[in-house]
Amino acid sequence: MARDNAQALIHTFDAEFEDYARDESRSRGWAESISFPTDEDEVRAVLRALAAEGVPVTVQGARTGLAAGAVPAGGHIMNLSRMNRYLGLRKDDEGRFYLRVQPGVVLLDLRKHLSARDIPASGWDAASRAALDAFAQAPVQIFPTDPTEASACLGGMAACNASGARSYRYGAMRGHVSGLRLALADGDVLALRRGEARACGRALTLTTEGGRIIATELPGYRMPACKSASGYYVADDMDAIDLIIGSDGTLGVITELELELMPAPAVTWGVSCFLAEERQALDATCALRERLSCASAIEYFDHAALEILRAQRASGAAFASLVEPPEGAGCCLFVELECASEDEAMAELSLVGEVLAAVGGSERDTWVARTDTDREALTFFRHAVPESVNMLIDERRRTDSAITKLGSDMAVPNERLYEVVALYRATLAEAGLEAAAWGHIGDNHLHVNVLPHDAADYAAGKELFARWAREVAAMGGAVSAEHGVGKLKRDFLKAMYGEGALCEMARVKRAFDPAGMFGRGNLFDESLLEGGA
Amino acid sequence: MHIVVCVKAVPASTEVKMDPVTNTIVRDGGASVVNPFDATALEVALSLAEERRRAGEPCRVSVLSMGIPATEALLRDCLARGADGALLLSDRAFAGADTLATTYALSCGIAHLAKQWGEPDLVLCGKMAVDGDTAQIGPELAATLGATCATDVREVLTCGAGAIAVRAAVDGGTAALELPLPAVLTLAREAAQLRMPSIAGVRAAAEMPVEVLGAAAVGADAARTGLAGSPTQVVRSFVPESQRESVAVDGTPAEQALRLVEIIEGVA
Repeated sequence: MARDNAQALIHTFDAEFEDYARDESRSRGWAESISFPTDEDEVRAVLRALAAEGVPVTVQGARTGLAAGAVPAGGHIMNLSRMNRYLGLRKDDEGRFYLRVQPGVVLLDLRKHLSARDIPASGWDAASRAALDAFAQAPVQIFPTDPTEASACLGGMAACNASGARSYRYGAMRGHVSGLRLALADGDVLALRRGEARACGRALTLTTEGGRIIATELPGYRMPACKSASGYYVADDMDAIDLIIGSDGTLGVITELELELMPAPAVTWGVSCFLAEERQALDATCALRERLSCASAIEYFDHAALEILRAQRASGAAFASLVEPPEGAGCCLFVELECASEDEAMAELSLVGEVLAAVGGSERDTWVARTDTDREALTFFRHAVPESVNMLIDERRRTDSAITKLGSDMAVPNERLYEVVALYRATLAEAGLEAAAWGHIGDNHLHVNVLPHDAADYAAGKELFARWAREVAAMGGAVSAEHGVGKLKRDFLKAMYGEGALCEMARVKRAFDPAGMFGRGNLFDESLLEGGA
Repeated sequence: MHIVVCVKAVPASTEVKMDPVTNTIVRDGGASVVNPFDATALEVALSLAEERRRAGEPCRVSVLSMGIPATEALLRDCLARGADGALLLSDRAFAGADTLATTYALSCGIAHLAKQWGEPDLVLCGKMAVDGDTAQIGPELAATLGATCATDVREVLTCGAGAIAVRAAVDGGTAALELPLPAVLTLAREAAQLRMPSIAGVRAAAEMPVEVLGAAAVGADAARTGLAGSPTQVVRSFVPESQRESVAVDGTPAEQALRLVEIIEGVA
């Protein structure tokens, strides 16, 4: 594409684009220009034009991220929300379907098309159309990654290796991406398909479509034995595609993803279990992990989270239709069962009942959602928790604008669950901070949200998070389990892996992006990017 | 106290299939759910029963439906949520019933339940079914049973030994009404939110019987059931098709505004 065409795609960043300076993390950045490419050619043309001028690029999707990875730090914003087309479908010999999408496709939209077995196929080739015919006849397919925010786009989800509740069973996004295309700063493209390009030990060599060789030594650190979205994923002999997923927009622009789909489970039941004490919930979590074979999610809501929900419900408006938690409920465990038959679901449900009885709870203090209406009510209940906390923080911000959301995203290995919860409780009490905790307890991954009343609370909360990052790292955990590091958790990443590992990560980045054009301020400080490749 | 809750299986989807010959809804296809208004009626019954029991009075909640055999699963779900018993009237002879024939069948079912559990003090229905939208069953049942009736009930105020007080919709607003028992109420959604079953409830319901009876077993007169007993003639039913098209307008605000002008001019 001619340079003039690229310039036509680049808009001066004036007041009408103000919203694009921030994301859901509520951080605000700045930029000089913005573009909204609609296909890979446009992405490449814009990148070439920017490279010629030495303008750095922040890549954005739906801006639902919580780590400010999409918040610009000067330069250009490349917003991919208009790259939202479905590109093709294939079916492998084992009957699995793989769907190619542009990065701006929104998860909610994807789910809608999958459940209706009706994917927009405009411009598809004959092979994809044939696969679509087979898809229409096959059992309903799903894409299992389910971050709470369904308005997230697939590109953003890949960039931060998103996960969500069902990662307990299905793992994070990384395991469900079978191919991708990455546009590099010079407009060249790297095409990766799972299984086709692997590191040799920690040495990785890749060839772009333009013939450039990217050769780098991958960092030597070991990944934590738990969910992680903290820095580059590395492993001996790793698949190159896994490095790109979770790279927080620092290596290039994902212009296409191929998603591996799977058949929807025959039976999905949700069970909310109300318990008096947090300790019972921890005991139950460990027992459920051992005994259940069909759990797709084990989630937790602490007493403060339930109380906030109660208050929001009582205040009416959007939350008036929330199901009310039972009187005296101290906390809630939510278990989702995905089974092949109702008989299997009944057997698993009985096991949940047994576990509750064993920890001193009761199978009467439960809600079992087996119908769409009930499942929707439970989803509303779970999603209302972070929403309610955001509303509470917004309310408090009115009296002190220094206050903002302070939510943790750390995970630890299974055997450290009790220890990490004890750490949270002891240090919150010591600091005298109000907090609510919820999240993916099955993965030992709680979002502890400090609820500051004033700037002093906020500062104390930030200090506490830094301490947690150090202690979680010492437990072999991850400082970010699903939100990514972005700009907000760089110091935590240093606490987790140490300065040396950050230098190794910067070396990887320089191999892909020698001029340091992408995602400035994400993962590590720019000073680490100085020096040769 | 004996409370009977009438529930109807309605299509889970809003896309309803019609039988081109009889012009009635095809019910043996896709997934069904309990009519949402009937779900409210069930919750009102369960709450009233809890209240009566707390006051030391025994109380039974029976759920009653006329439908295809698969409706049994929905009735079992009602048991899981706390109903004490369930009766399904299922017979080809009931097929194609209009509201009169349905009311007749349900009244036969109520008579059958009454033999075992006593005449009902209360019969609760949803204010209408989301598929048929007639809102006639409740009032017709009241007339058949010789009971008092309040429709579109928004709230149950009190329930004593011989009477129930409710707030129900009337022209221009709502009114507090006191009805001597036996009474038939039809419930609006705002009256209650159906509770979810517990693990204990689901497990117990799996072992409980759902009584399934045909027309003869409840002593129904064949001439008054199904199509034969339905004076209503449905001449034609159809799902209205939307003629409207949506157009997404992309671009900068200025580009979008220009495109909008073009579209408006095109329409004019």
